[in-house]
Amino acid sequence: MIELRNVTKKFGRSVAVDDLTMAVPAGEIFGLLGHNGAGKSTAIGMMLGQVWPTAGLVKVCGHEVVRDRQRALQKVGAIFEAPAFYNDLSGWRNLEILSFYTAPTPARRIQEVVDWVGLGGRIKDKVKTYSHGMRARLALGQALLPQPELLILDEPGDGLDPEGIHEMRQTIQRLHRELGLTILLSSHLLAEVEQVCLSIAVMNHGRKVFQGRIAETRQARGWVRLRAGNFAEAAKILRESGLIARERDGQFILPAEGVGTNQVVERLVERRQPVFEIALVEETLEEFYLALMKK
Amino acid sequence: MIYYQLRNELWKMFGKKRTYIGFGAFLLAHATILLLFRYWQGPRRDMAHRLELLGYNSQYYISNLTMAVAVLIPVAELLMPLYVALVGGDLLAKEAEDGTLRMILARPISRFRLALVKWLAGLVFSIVLALALGVMGAAVASCLFPSGGLFAFLPMDGIFSVFEAGEGWRRYTIATAILSANAATVMGLALMFSCFNVKPAAATVLALSILLTSKIIQEMPYFHDLQPWFFTYHMNYWMKVFEERIPWADILQSLSILFGFNLTLLIIGCVAFQVRDIKS
Repeated sequence: MIELRNVTKKFGRSVAVDDLTMAVPAGEIFGLLGHNGAGKSTAIGMMLGQVWPTAGLVKVCGHEVVRDRQRALQKVGAIFEAPAFYNDLSGWRNLEILSFYTAPTPARRIQEVVDWVGLGGRIKDKVKTYSHGMRARLALGQALLPQPELLILDEPGDGLDPEGIHEMRQTIQRLHRELGLTILLSSHLLAEVEQVCLSIAVMNHGRKVFQGRIAETRQARGWVRLRAGNFAEAAKILRESGLIARERDGQFILPAEGVGTNQVVERLVERRQPVFEIALVEETLEEFYLALMKK
Repeated sequence: MIYYQLRNELWKMFGKKRTYIGFGAFLLAHATILLLFRYWQGPRRDMAHRLELLGYNSQYYISNLTMAVAVLIPVAELLMPLYVALVGGDLLAKEAEDGTLRMILARPISRFRLALVKWLAGLVFSIVLALALGVMGAAVASCLFPSGGLFAFLPMDGIFSVFEAGEGWRRYTIATAILSANAATVMGLALMFSCFNVKPAAATVLALSILLTSKIIQEMPYFHDLQPWFFTYHMNYWMKVFEERIPWADILQSLSILFGFNLTLLIIGCVAFQVRDIKS
């Protein structure tokens, strides 16, 4: 659905995105992570034809954005952090205005979307009277109007309270489940990304430092919890056998490259060491992310 | 489709309070100047003296129409560009500043089309503002002065004319209509700067700076021969409507030059807008 191939963006001398290659498959909820200034928004800007790449290829919905932006964005909806609207106009008029930049949109379709996002009672009020949460719903409404296949969410949770974040998470899952949308979610809220995304890419100083399934991040560092009769003795046996690279905290071992937990258990049983539990340690996305940033 | 997009631009433009500042300021300026004319005898005595020297009936020519024209000239020259530039400078730069431009450009509209629609909306605003200027002047003058003929005295342009009421109103209407071209030119200038990566206030100030610089150079006696090369020179042609015989050929030539100037501004603006990056 989205493909970036060797994409670079320079602003003067500074490199905002450096040789980024990334693909978001259709039907995924894909997380894009990175610190402020990592290049996420610039990458999204290039996907939407708002920022022109210095080098490389950007394709959205099968169309090259630089050459054929209009076709590439025909089935795309987008929401940005702190969504901006025409505050002196009503929510309805805002939706009308924004939707007509894609195609004439019948009132029936606008009403459908208003009902879907739950803004029915206030849609005729001026946007300047809306709360942050209502603006977020209106932003979602405008993104859904062109009946998108791809939804790009750039920091949609910024400024939301815990209830708002919970609602946003549920909405993203509902959009994916009910409308079958492909969703690209750029966010700082690692816990949210962990709960809703299937895959992620992590950017650091304009470069992609990781892309993979969320499941991979949980085991990415490969630590294994081992409960044995005598941990120190068991670790010594495994180290001498070349089966582990490191151990720590009296309960974790890091198997050597290519070594599976079955081999660890076999060796300990051979050496008559009781094994009560052996399990891969699941890291949180936050731990994984912070470890990546330290590298 | 372009009709709907233009309609949307007008909704946005006329949904903002600052769009109406110009209309309010015109009304205030007209009321202030015309009240001064009404209650301070000096200028009227001077007008009457000039008319009577040439044997005209000053009672008939010191009228609503004469006063409307007397006020139209300074307001059109000084205030109108200010308010047109204010709105023109906002057209794209304010959307970029507020973040709504990113919302728009997440949609499959080309930047050229967006700039064109903005330009058309600016053109509509310019026409409405120029017409409002004429209508307000006529309305306020009619409240304070009796009906009568037109005495047009524009010494800088060598114009000293008198017209019967009917012909006077016709000239006033034509002048107001031609003023729309001036307003559109200032609008085009401000919109062009608005297409660059600048703040709305900067776009407005840059447009006014170019306008005033052009006027200053054009008015300097040393550069008299270069006058036709300055766009502000052609923006003065609307006043020729008040000459005894309207020099249509000269007026059309100036309007054509202004049209070409506007087209050039639009092209520069579109190119600048096309190549720039839109960031948060």
